[in-house]
Amino acid sequence: MDLKLDDDMLNQCVQCGLCLPHCPTFRVTGDETMSPRGRIKLMREVQLADAPVTDEVLDAFSSCVQCRGCEPACPSGVEYGHLMERTRETLADEGMMTPAWQRLALKPLANPTLLHAGSKVLAVAQRLKLVPGRLGISEQLPMRQAPLETSGDDVFLFTGCVMDAWQRDVHAAGQRVLEAAGFGVTPTNELAPCCGALQAHAGLTGETRSLAETMMANLDAGSGAEPRPIIVDSAGCGAAMKDYGHLLDTPEAVAFSARVFDIQEFLALHLNRLPTAAPIDLRVAVQDPCHLRHVQRVHDATRTVLRPYVRELVELDDEGLCCGAGGAYSVLEPELAGQIRERKLGSIERAAPDVVASANPGCSMHLGSAGANTRHPMQLIDDALNQ
Amino acid sequence: MLNELKKRLTGKTDSSGDAFVDALREAISPERVKFDGAHRALHGHDASVFDGGNSGPVVYPETTAEVQAVVRLANDHGRNVVPRGAGTGLAGGAIPLGAPVVVAVTRMNKILEVDVDNMIAWVEPGVVNLDLSNTLRPHGFHFAPDPSSQQACTIGGNVANNSGGPHCLAYGVTNAHVVALEVVLPSGEVAMLGGLDAEPQGLDLRGVFVGSEGTLGITTRIAVRLTKNRPEVRTLLLSFDSVTDAANTVSGVIAGGIVPAAMEVMDQRITEAVENYVGAGYPLDAAAVLLAEVDGLDAGVDIDADRIAQIGRDNNATAVRLAETDHERALLWKGRKTAFGAIAQIAPDYYLHDTVVPRSALAGVLEEVYAIAKRHDVLVMNVFHAGDGNLHPLLIFDAREEGVLDRVHAAGGEIITASLDAGGVLSGEHGIGVEKQKYMDRMFSGDDLDHQNRLRQGFDPFCRTNPGKVIPSGHSCADIQSLRNVPDKVWG
Ligand SMILES: Cc1cc2nc3c(=O)[nH]c(=O)nc-3n(C[C@H](O)[C@H](O)[C@H](O)COP(=O)(O)OP(=O)(O)OC[C@H]3O[C@@H](n4cnc5c(N)ncnc54)[C@H](O)[C@@H]3O)c2cc1C
Ligand code: SF4
Ligand code: SF4
Repeated sequence: MDLKLDDDMLNQCVQCGLCLPHCPTFRVTGDETMSPRGRIKLMREVQLADAPVTDEVLDAFSSCVQCRGCEPACPSGVEYGHLMERTRETLADEGMMTPAWQRLALKPLANPTLLHAGSKVLAVAQRLKLVPGRLGISEQLPMRQAPLETSGDDVFLFTGCVMDAWQRDVHAAGQRVLEAAGFGVTPTNELAPCCGALQAHAGLTGETRSLAETMMANLDAGSGAEPRPIIVDSAGCGAAMKDYGHLLDTPEAVAFSARVFDIQEFLALHLNRLPTAAPIDLRVAVQDPCHLRHVQRVHDATRTVLRPYVRELVELDDEGLCCGAGGAYSVLEPELAGQIRERKLGSIERAAPDVVASANPGCSMHLGSAGANTRHPMQLIDDALNQ
Repeated sequence: MLNELKKRLTGKTDSSGDAFVDALREAISPERVKFDGAHRALHGHDASVFDGGNSGPVVYPETTAEVQAVVRLANDHGRNVVPRGAGTGLAGGAIPLGAPVVVAVTRMNKILEVDVDNMIAWVEPGVVNLDLSNTLRPHGFHFAPDPSSQQACTIGGNVANNSGGPHCLAYGVTNAHVVALEVVLPSGEVAMLGGLDAEPQGLDLRGVFVGSEGTLGITTRIAVRLTKNRPEVRTLLLSFDSVTDAANTVSGVIAGGIVPAAMEVMDQRITEAVENYVGAGYPLDAAAVLLAEVDGLDAGVDIDADRIAQIGRDNNATAVRLAETDHERALLWKGRKTAFGAIAQIAPDYYLHDTVVPRSALAGVLEEVYAIAKRHDVLVMNVFHAGDGNLHPLLIFDAREEGVLDRVHAAGGEIITASLDAGGVLSGEHGIGVEKQKYMDRMFSGDDLDHQNRLRQGFDPFCRTNPGKVIPSGHSCADIQSLRNVPDKVWG
């Protein structure tokens, strides 16, 4: 069957296997069908040799976390993430993947009212202890939250869907740090309800495209005005928005993506504007979210901005191997996600930090629900600036 | 997830219709015995170009006892067995012929014991080479063999292929770093080969097993020797206007009595591809670069580094750069070690050779390699362990192009002939597998091959373990690569 993959890109993989150890699912299973090389080979078998799409083939595809740890490891420059997204899109279109209940579950993300209503239900349920642990929602969800206020028009702060509902305090911290660096901040709130990352991962690329178009229209600078940078404090959202250029393939989308910055990345470019402060007395381990390290590849910035504000910054010893959160992955593939998380927790234990700094809400919650003490880098800097 | 759910609800797992598979499932665990098309297709390959594999069931054992159970069941059912590590082999060693059971040891990946006092570690065969070194590093040690694939390949695979790496020039290949092996023999018995004593009793069967490419049994536990981390390291990058100048520099360094830790050469095409991936600052305009490393005590390394730089300049080096930081050194090595993978930037397929030639013949053979490739109109790139004369001519092509494979094979054959004529050998480190089998009789006489086969049959009278590998079929029910009558050193 035609997976609608580019033949040349598919053939770019020389099957050398150098990516294997960088793949979390291969690491925990040792199974070639759960490796990047194996998944690419299966795409080839399906598209080029017309092999049937069996349960095992679907398992191989749906067990991929889409962490893209295999990409920086690949000397041949195989764009695995795009291959997998397109594969899932085709299979979802054919009704072979992403069943209706998953589509339904993703719906509220694009609709702030629905999402906030759902979150409130969840918050109540959580207090009544009705929420299963495997959903990975560790902290008590807030019942009521103060909205973020516009303080100026130098930059947009993307607030998004899930993170705004569940972790608005991270946005608030990010906004205060940006303001401390002298930037007036416009939170995007209803202007940009959702980045569409989870939809794209599930193969519902059409929905992502329309979300992207809405966001681009709403965050347009208008004629004549200087286009404002769009700052994102969730690594997964930032990666998705930086990919709009590829997804929509228009000059406008390319220009839009160029305006998107991860918040650490942006602040590292304006380091001299950040006020100095006494470091907080903590040993902090940096956990690199995959979409910051492997996709945006700006993870060094986290260290650059965080280092002056904490007593000690330490590295994990697993070379950025995924933690298993993967957007909705931890809910869809709980068993593998749990095994992958065990490896990460081992690595955290060896680093023996007081706090784990993670710049992605999904990772924070996934690790937090297993007992790791996680904070967003912006919260740590905010603490240092306000102690 | 839905499949899982379905299985749970309906209690349905794929029925194999094969008594052997059912017996394996009974003995191991249904989840760790795979017999579906996807698993079998993927285990029909490794990192080589060979494309004729046909896998039977694939099993993922976790203990020696499970490996033993698989081998015994295979014997009972008259089926063959092929061990597999990470599948990064370049000679097709792990490729299953005749639908054998593929025993993937990837889940046997524990470092069992690190004994710093005796400088030994016990590991399971699926431990990844670089993971072992990373674990040992805080103790002040590492595992010396460092194949360029070290981030992915397994210790079991290293043992089976007697693998080398850039730093084996000074430290020796895998054989020098393996003390003892627990193996499941083709009969299903478990034996310990070698031992921790300085002089183990009797024949050195450990030495026979190392490099046997999975034809003598499956190793399930390995005692490796630890090597002390190097106090001081200097890494030089020399650029040249011709590959010959680089090769002459290599000969000059060795002739000068220096024993560098590593000496690696890459030609212009491969350097470009590599630089595009790592951004280590490799020069794009040099016809060849030489990466040379010396290690040891402070004063000595500076003197050696200076002398290598001087020898380079005497051989027309156009630039000499000393890596200033560990980060810079790491990037340069990352470039060298990902070279084979990086070639897909130029063409999607490669056929890699692995001959060893005397260092004095290096420059001449290289010139011939380029001429052969030109004659057959195929692209060749050279990247090689220059220090021990181990050439890796890479013929690169797009297999979708009509007739190109014939030209590639013709060129490959001539390259091998040229290397052997210069007094070289067929394989430095990647092994014979299925890929280089047909060239074995250019190197060994019929008698040689028959004796190798007899040794093999001592272990495996029915030729059930990795059949069809190494020894060309004319000389055996199967084959063997046993003691190759070349000095240990050149297998780097
Ligand atoms: C990019 C790249 C660079 C490389 N660079 C080098 C290099 O510098 N030097 C070098 O020597 N090689 C190199 N190789 C080749 C390859 O990585 C090595 O031969 C490696 O040792 C193979 O290990 P593996 O775990 O992948 O084994 P596999 O490919 O899975 O198997 C290799 C052989 O070992 C046997 N085997 C595996 N496990 C066992 C076991 N437990 N018991 C018995 N037999 C077993 C298999 O049957 C097979 O014959 C390179 C490969 C690639 C792709
Ligand atoms: S994806 Fe890249 S690293 Fe992985 S097997 Fe293919 S070429 Fe090698
Ligand atoms: S995206 Fe992540 S999980 Fe998927 S193949 Fe690549 S490394 Fe493995």
